[in-house]
Amino acid sequence: MASKLNESQQLATWYFTFAAILFGAQLLFGLVAAIQYVMPGFLFEIIDFSIARIIHINALVVWMVFAMFGSVYWLLPDETGIETVGIKLGKLLYWVFVAAIVVVVLVYLLVQVGPADETTIWFITEGREYIEAPRWADIGIVVVALGFVANLFLTGIKGNRSGIVTVLMADMIAFAGLYLAGMFFTDNISVDQYWWWWVIHLWVEATWEVFVGAIAAYGLIKMVGAHRQVVEMWLWIEVAMLFGSGILGMGHHYFWIGTPEYWWEIGALFSALEPLPLVAMFVHVLYDWGKTQGGQDAKGESVSVINNKPAFTWFVFNAFGNFLGAGVWGFFHTLPQVNLYTHGTQFTSAHGHLAFFGAYATILIGMMYIAVQGKNGIKVMKNTTSSILAVSLIVGGVVGMTVALTIAGYVQVLVSRAQMGATWAGYFDGQAGMWFAQGMDWRLIMGVVTFIGFLFLAKDLLSIGKAAHHER
Amino acid sequence: MLDPSLIRPEIALDDFLPIFVSSALAMVFGGFYVGIYTAVKVEMLKRWAMPFAYLFWMLTSYCLYIMGSLMHVGEFTAKALIVAMIGYLLLPHAVYYMQHQVHEENED
Amino acid sequence: MAKRSVWSDNRFWQRSAAWVTGFAAVLLIWLTFDTSAQISMGTDADLKNGVTKRVPGPTVINYKITYEMDTKRGHEIPVIGEKELFFGRDDYSEEEAGALLHLGKLGSQVKNCMDCHTLLGNGAYYAPDLTKAWLDPAWGPEGSLQAMTGKETKEEAMAEFLQHPSQYPTHERMMPNLGITAEEAKGLVSFLKHMSSIDTNGFPRNFGKIQGAVHGK
Repeated sequence: MASKLNESQQLATWYFTFAAILFGAQLLFGLVAAIQYVMPGFLFEIIDFSIARIIHINALVVWMVFAMFGSVYWLLPDETGIETVGIKLGKLLYWVFVAAIVVVVLVYLLVQVGPADETTIWFITEGREYIEAPRWADIGIVVVALGFVANLFLTGIKGNRSGIVTVLMADMIAFAGLYLAGMFFTDNISVDQYWWWWVIHLWVEATWEVFVGAIAAYGLIKMVGAHRQVVEMWLWIEVAMLFGSGILGMGHHYFWIGTPEYWWEIGALFSALEPLPLVAMFVHVLYDWGKTQGGQDAKGESVSVINNKPAFTWFVFNAFGNFLGAGVWGFFHTLPQVNLYTHGTQFTSAHGHLAFFGAYATILIGMMYIAVQGKNGIKVMKNTTSSILAVSLIVGGVVGMTVALTIAGYVQVLVSRAQMGATWAGYFDGQAGMWFAQGMDWRLIMGVVTFIGFLFLAKDLLSIGKAAHHER
Repeated sequence: MLDPSLIRPEIALDDFLPIFVSSALAMVFGGFYVGIYTAVKVEMLKRWAMPFAYLFWMLTSYCLYIMGSLMHVGEFTAKALIVAMIGYLLLPHAVYYMQHQVHEENED
Repeated sequence: MAKRSVWSDNRFWQRSAAWVTGFAAVLLIWLTFDTSAQISMGTDADLKNGVTKRVPGPTVINYKITYEMDTKRGHEIPVIGEKELFFGRDDYSEEEAGALLHLGKLGSQVKNCMDCHTLLGNGAYYAPDLTKAWLDPAWGPEGSLQAMTGKETKEEAMAEFLQHPSQYPTHERMMPNLGITAEEAKGLVSFLKHMSSIDTNGFPRNFGKIQGAVHGK
């Protein structure tokens, strides 16, 4: 089937492709780190845990950013009714971005660390979790992000500015602007952490969540024919709830980094509110699906209203995973009374795995399927065996890892924190616990399951468009 | 060991598990509450399921109560949790009401 | 079309979203000003005059630091005590101590410390938390880690370990050799000592309760 994509959607497929490659890299280096918990000698002083983890978490952030940019380039022509303004610039920036990422990763792998001076910060690593990228790359990322935001704004202003596009415009400029808060050096670690959270928290618990809300809105209109008026009104309510709880929810990161005690109350209050929008997003998907299907059934046609089964499956897992990963796993260690013991243990890691996956990976994979559908001009896209295997193995694997890490974290809280008081000896006593060790074994096994699921996903994304059983 | 450091109520070792379980269940039951409520409203479930939705809300509140007391939350947090629970009870009603209205207005 | 109620009007919700977001953002910015003032680094004069800062000045390395229960606040806080030798001196000037801290903070970033350890509880969970590492009894005079390096003082033992970590296998999970020089190690140790003096609202709770680090070395 010849593709009839416009240029913006073509660029989107490039973004999705590189995102999928980085997703694979993320899982691969995650496996290296998981093996090191079980066999500490593995690749010791070759690819140490720190290096494996940097690539694991940086690839995570970057593949998501790529897929987010891709999603926006995909939906822009649909929403605005015109070709993206400045698409040539967009394509150029894509290659700049890809080249920068490749160089950064190679330097992480081959140079790893440097002497304690500014040149290392500029050219090798900034050593700040999640945003280790050296400063030259920071500047490059800002330039690329500004180019992307400019394209989005110019297109939104020139074309039909729908509610979804308006939300994305506001959200993406905040998203790009916040990165600036993570680009400076200070000797004061409390100040360092204070601003570091502006990037990390206001990304993943505010701007990225709003982005997910906008993408879910687009997906519901696109896939089940939900009513735009309803969806967009709902999107605005979600924005209010997400920013209303998320911006000051920042307080839960300011309990123990040297900041004043009043953050306990602020953090507790807004953390208790943070799950509400996630529940609301979950209801929203259920509501629109139920309404449109109900309308269909009323006409006496019992056909499904869903025109892209694999993508819709991932969107449903998104609604569910966002609530479970960010909501449940976030909530149970967020109040200061209990966070005092859980902060900095495998609990955080369990939450991180399920939340990043549930809230972001799922919906972005869903967008990739929407792009495959569009690229191949398919009217109703159905699952293949690989689609089902991919979603089952990946979801099962990530949930398995989360449970394993939660059990390990529980041991750590009891032994290392509550009893031993977080010393060097206390830490290693916790790590030696039988449940901890088994938790780490299971995490590795479930990591392998996830990776196998990824292989099926990659195969499916490449081949599902050519399958014969879709309605065209 | 009589430790003078036990000024602020410490979480007892045996309380950690119930705390984690109850806070997780609070969220899960909360999910059931809004899930069942919405499903009944959009007629994916029969009407008799509705009391179960409210039952789950009660379970959620009970779990939060257990969690709060074992954690020895302060007065402020306790109030915040109560407000959150009342808000939670109302939330799906408000949401459904608004969505329904928009639907009606646009179907005409 | 039926009469529109305000609740189903997109423009109403759009404005509400803007107001809520704006209000939350303004509140956060206002709190940021207050917090920034409270976490700015103290000076040498503050230390000499006994002014308590949440983040003391770099010359805190000239003093003994302990971690003690504050009955009013209900948790432990770092207490800065009498003078204490640090690499044989207790008279580091503000410039000297500042330079050491600068080197140490840079060192903590260029060696990717946070991708194995946690600092102030943030980072990776593959190695012990470093927030109060300076107060850890294992590095104290009776501690196994100090004994292992054969050094006389805590700071020299830590510096020795940082330079040759794989010579001192402390656990099956070892710290790799990161090419840390003697000067960088000194900077890193002063960074750790400074970090232990930060008021973290009682995190980590009961630090060293069992081995007795709470009341100092």
